[in-house]
Amino acid sequence: MSAVLGAERPQVVSHVQQALSYTVFDCKWVPRSARLLCLGSAARGTGVLQLYELNGARLQLLREIEKPKPIKCGTFGATSLQQRYLATGDFDGNLNIWNLEAPEIPVYSVKGHKEIINSIDGVGGLGIGEGAPEIVTGSRDGTVKVWDPRQNDIPVANMESVQGESKRDCWTVAFGNAYNLEERVVCAGYDNGDIKLFDLKTMSLRWETNIKNGVCSVEFDRKDINMNKLVATSLEGKFHVFDMRTQHPTKGFAYVSEKAQKSTIWQVRHLPQNRDIFMTSGGSGSLHLWKYEYPAQRSKKDSEGCEMGVAGSLSLLQNVTLSTQPISSLDWSPDKTGLCVCGAYDQTVRVLIVTKLNKI
Amino acid sequence: MGDESVPYFLGEGTTKTYQIPISHLDYKFIEKCTDVKHLEKILRVLRSGEEGCYPELTLVCEKRIEHLDPRSRVLRKDKPPATASDFTAGEWQAINSELMNWLTEMNEDDRKSQLLRTDILNERQDNLPPIRCSSSCPPTNQNKILQNKQRSKKNIPRDYSEWDKFDVEKECSKIDEDCEESNSKARFFSRPSLPIIEKKIDTTGMTKRDKMIIATREKEKGNEAFASGDYVEAVTYYTRSISVIPTAAVYNNKAQAEIKLQDWDNALEDCEKVLDMEPGNIKALMRRATVHNHLQNYQTAIEDLNKVLSVEPENTMAKKKLLEIEKKQKSLKPVSEPQGKGKKILIQEIEDAESGEGRGENIEECERRGGDKSSGAAAARAAGQRAMGNAHGKSRGKGGKAQDGDKHKHKDSAESRLKKGAAEKKSEKHLSDHEGEVNGYLRSGDKSESAEAEISEPHREETRSAGGGSSTALPPTAAKLKSEGNELFKSGQFGEAVLKYSEAIEYVTSLGEQSPDDLSILYSNRAACYLKEGNCSDCIQDCNRALELQPFSLKPLLRRAMANESMERYRQAYIDYKTVLQIDSSIQAANDSANRITKTLIDQDGPSWREKLPPIPVVPAAVQLHRWDGGSLTSENKPSTIDINREEQLQMNCEEAVEKFKRLKNEGNDFVKMGEYEEAANKYSECMKLNTEECTAYTNRALCYLKLYKYEEAKRDCDHVLQIEDSNIKAFYRRALAYKGLQNYQASADDFSKVLLIDPNVLEAQKELEEVTQLLHFDGSAGAGNQQTHGKKITIQEVTEADEQEERQFATSEDAETRRVPAEEAVPKPVPRRSSEKLRVSEPPNAYDFGQMINALNANKDKAACADLLTVTDPKTLPVLLSNKLEGETLLIFIQSLEHYIAGKDPGLAYQHLFYLSKAERFKVVLALLSKNEKNEVQQLFDLLSKSWSDQYSLEDLESLKKVYEL
Repeated sequence: MSAVLGAERPQVVSHVQQALSYTVFDCKWVPRSARLLCLGSAARGTGVLQLYELNGARLQLLREIEKPKPIKCGTFGATSLQQRYLATGDFDGNLNIWNLEAPEIPVYSVKGHKEIINSIDGVGGLGIGEGAPEIVTGSRDGTVKVWDPRQNDIPVANMESVQGESKRDCWTVAFGNAYNLEERVVCAGYDNGDIKLFDLKTMSLRWETNIKNGVCSVEFDRKDINMNKLVATSLEGKFHVFDMRTQHPTKGFAYVSEKAQKSTIWQVRHLPQNRDIFMTSGGSGSLHLWKYEYPAQRSKKDSEGCEMGVAGSLSLLQNVTLSTQPISSLDWSPDKTGLCVCGAYDQTVRVLIVTKLNKI
Repeated sequence: MGDESVPYFLGEGTTKTYQIPISHLDYKFIEKCTDVKHLEKILRVLRSGEEGCYPELTLVCEKRIEHLDPRSRVLRKDKPPATASDFTAGEWQAINSELMNWLTEMNEDDRKSQLLRTDILNERQDNLPPIRCSSSCPPTNQNKILQNKQRSKKNIPRDYSEWDKFDVEKECSKIDEDCEESNSKARFFSRPSLPIIEKKIDTTGMTKRDKMIIATREKEKGNEAFASGDYVEAVTYYTRSISVIPTAAVYNNKAQAEIKLQDWDNALEDCEKVLDMEPGNIKALMRRATVHNHLQNYQTAIEDLNKVLSVEPENTMAKKKLLEIEKKQKSLKPVSEPQGKGKKILIQEIEDAESGEGRGENIEECERRGGDKSSGAAAARAAGQRAMGNAHGKSRGKGGKAQDGDKHKHKDSAESRLKKGAAEKKSEKHLSDHEGEVNGYLRSGDKSESAEAEISEPHREETRSAGGGSSTALPPTAAKLKSEGNELFKSGQFGEAVLKYSEAIEYVTSLGEQSPDDLSILYSNRAACYLKEGNCSDCIQDCNRALELQPFSLKPLLRRAMANESMERYRQAYIDYKTVLQIDSSIQAANDSANRITKTLIDQDGPSWREKLPPIPVVPAAVQLHRWDGGSLTSENKPSTIDINREEQLQMNCEEAVEKFKRLKNEGNDFVKMGEYEEAANKYSECMKLNTEECTAYTNRALCYLKLYKYEEAKRDCDHVLQIEDSNIKAFYRRALAYKGLQNYQASADDFSKVLLIDPNVLEAQKELEEVTQLLHFDGSAGAGNQQTHGKKITIQEVTEADEQEERQFATSEDAETRRVPAEEAVPKPVPRRSSEKLRVSEPPNAYDFGQMINALNANKDKAACADLLTVTDPKTLPVLLSNKLEGETLLIFIQSLEHYIAGKDPGLAYQHLFYLSKAERFKVVLALLSKNEKNEVQQLFDLLSKSWSDQYSLEDLESLKKVYEL
């Protein structure tokens, strides 16, 4: 029976494992290439940036760059396909943009936050998302700032708590809704379980909710469409999928939640080629591949005649356990369906192949 | 057992927690138990090993749960990643080889893109939207106020400022709840329910691979939207994908989404596009059949399904549908199939032909209204649109009756209107068939440029000229005969009408007077009678005569087309319809018929049906105007209202033609941008049909031909332009290039020197001239083969240069071709770079580098360096280099460095820079945003320039430039 199932379900194959000499925080595919980047912190407290090329069944180290501060996160989301500049956030609160071919000095640099930048996301580059290229950073100092690489020193938008209030640690940020030149939202998740949705067009807080546990990762299913779904993962192993199409005046967005494992879900990443499939990575070193199924009717009228969303359902396509340590980062290749890289705290980066994704 | 919440942590004794009797941990119990929750608990107990280790039992329990609920969470086990052993050897190999292929592909791409990099870097950056205004950051003070207001009321620790005004409203609502409700709702509903997504993607400067990736991504988005049931969005994304690269698959998907939206017309169109690209595409055929089924074109639907079945005889879907449709068809029309088809076309013909008269009658009745208000004339009182609707209703009614066999009952239009109601109901099923058409009429009726109005025009004219008895060229006897004929025709006595018209014709011809227009109308009218009688061959003869007398007159063409169609001479009919459409593309009936015949012809002749067509005569652009001129001439003595109406129509038509011309040209330009010169040339050719005088279409087509290496054609186009405009520099330049391509270097050199004579500043022409003269010498000495390769290499360079030159001209000329300007970004700029290599090293090679330099200069406010940059930069290239990046800051630093460093030394250069700066994109915008101080700077520069003197400009020049700078 399992053999039959195996034939239909996607399988996760661990294609390459590469042991590293430092703690990896983030790994990213370089768009339109077979190269990947690992960002992290060396034992002596410096930042490491390694560029690998997938070469058959092994990873070939092309370049290693050391920077003074440990690098927490990176994104290619706001660069053009030709330039492929990497934007990183480090432990000191610096936002840097690197030309990987000349990484000695950053092409853009700003001390954006007082404390570590936990999360970074970009939009408007790589042909994904209409409008200007922008980078959003979320930091332990409680602020979420939006940057335009063309403007030095000051952010184009800054979302922070009012003075005198206790600052919450922002753990994760994500762009979405960038389907035309005007619309754009930023979603931020905080350590107290708050999720806030900022509308950059109207410069207002569009929606907020609390999922009771620290929000480790948020991601829209696609950044460049009228916002459709948002996945938010939490500290205690639950994740929520919000249907972002219909916002009820009081109830907000409809959601479905699912418990993947007993440990923290560190990351969620949607398959770039199919927005309804996503992978979550867990604190117990496991990966779960999910599929969202839409309900027959995505919205209905409540008793007062207001439109409200209807959440769909989730099905688990596959799960594997790769490590005993948390898998802290996950990235799908934008070019090859099913190719995926993940970095774990056992100081290992793994290239995975997920099969049969196009047959779902 | 009753406890619903299943604890996940199994710290304490399981039996205690679940209170499961030990007897339940048994094969028999598990096999019978259907309570999944209970089984899950048992499984947990078993797995925990509290009651001992029973691997077999555990397995059985798992299987049982899987059987009952395959998605149960307890079945989720930690699994290692799959390895080769989990796959068959073939699968494993496939996975690996697929990856390896991708890797090699990627590596190759990498190498390529490295080579391209410098050229394409600048591309999309130029089109970026402005930086989000930092001042739009939320004012923190305001937030504080908001925060204070609501802090007390929030129970969850919300320590972040509330940005949204919505929340304020919410707070206020505590005072007035009802009010709040509506407010908040209004806010939510005010959000655009349908997001505005651009239908086209700007692909300027994208490589083919970029485009492919974008097109695929948009298609994926479309597919996803389709999967989630959002068909409107799916169509949008498919459209976007098509705007980048049109592929059959995407058209096919779009058609499916449109079917879901019941947008039959577009679905049909898309299916046909798929079938154009891939004749015999099963999915497209199936979808087209569905569309036809819904449009009640059962016959065509059946034909499509038969085609599907001929390829895939086992296609059950097609079989089922076929049965369904055949049943429907039979229930609708008890007539046998082929007959039904013939008749249907006939009905439509009648409708088309009579709609005109319906309108004519209506108008007549409106006139009569003064005296006779009794009968159903009230309906006719309705304004144009309604009258049109009525006329249609009636004609439809007539159509229905004609089918029933009683054709001669319409003696009185009022009577017919009474009957109409009933007839309409009867033919309701037909209604939907023609609904689209009717709507088309109604819509165009509003615009008073309707096809129908045009068809009916001669009729109105005729009836009026007869009834009013006022002046036409016709002698009174003939006029009388004609009006009698018209009356008889209207009352349906076609035979008698033919006699009257024949008499009239005889009379007119016997007089021998030259009034071809009237004679043509008489023939045309007689043809209409013949058509009604079903005497198609006579009808065609009369139409031919009418057309001899008045070529390209609309009505006889239409009638001949209908006659040909009913005689199944589809090719001729097609040609006639196409000619009609060339004269006036808005005639819906002709459009529909042409489409219908296209299908028939494809069925008959296969995909190469076009080859069997006789050539379609090209209608001179003047015909349209001519026709209207004739109309207004003869109607000079008619009531003024009609005159105005016609005037309007005339104007509308001119405007329409101009519109269409523009649109076609723009489409052509777009194609040029995309590098699809063949299509572009076609578009321009269509432009020329509309307006032979407009040179740009010719010069642009010449450019396309040059790109396509069709030098002979390019030369011909240039010749044509030069006949009209003997100093068109573009035409000379392109002809020179064409001559060069044709290896007629002498002529080429001549043309280049002419270009230089007109404008000595065209660097490209200078260079070309040098090259050509070299070639001229070379020509004599070198061998043929060598020469050819050389020639070819040069032509490639030429082409880019042609583009370059053109950009400059577009940038400087002020004809309405601004849309072409972005094309410059698409073109890699080898020319300036080459020149820079030759001349100075520091000259910026392209817009991107220039932009970078400017940014650096701006950052340092380094005016001296900016002055250096400006000195080495050719002023003429400024607009190109700046592209759309001109900012206030940039302008200011330019002005300052010109003022402080250049104006003193070389006022001529400063003037040149100022002049070309004003030609840059966004210049006006930037200028408008300058502050007073900044304006003063500009003023100072001008003052400085007016004090110094150079031979490059006069004071007048300076004054006019000052105006441009709004001083």
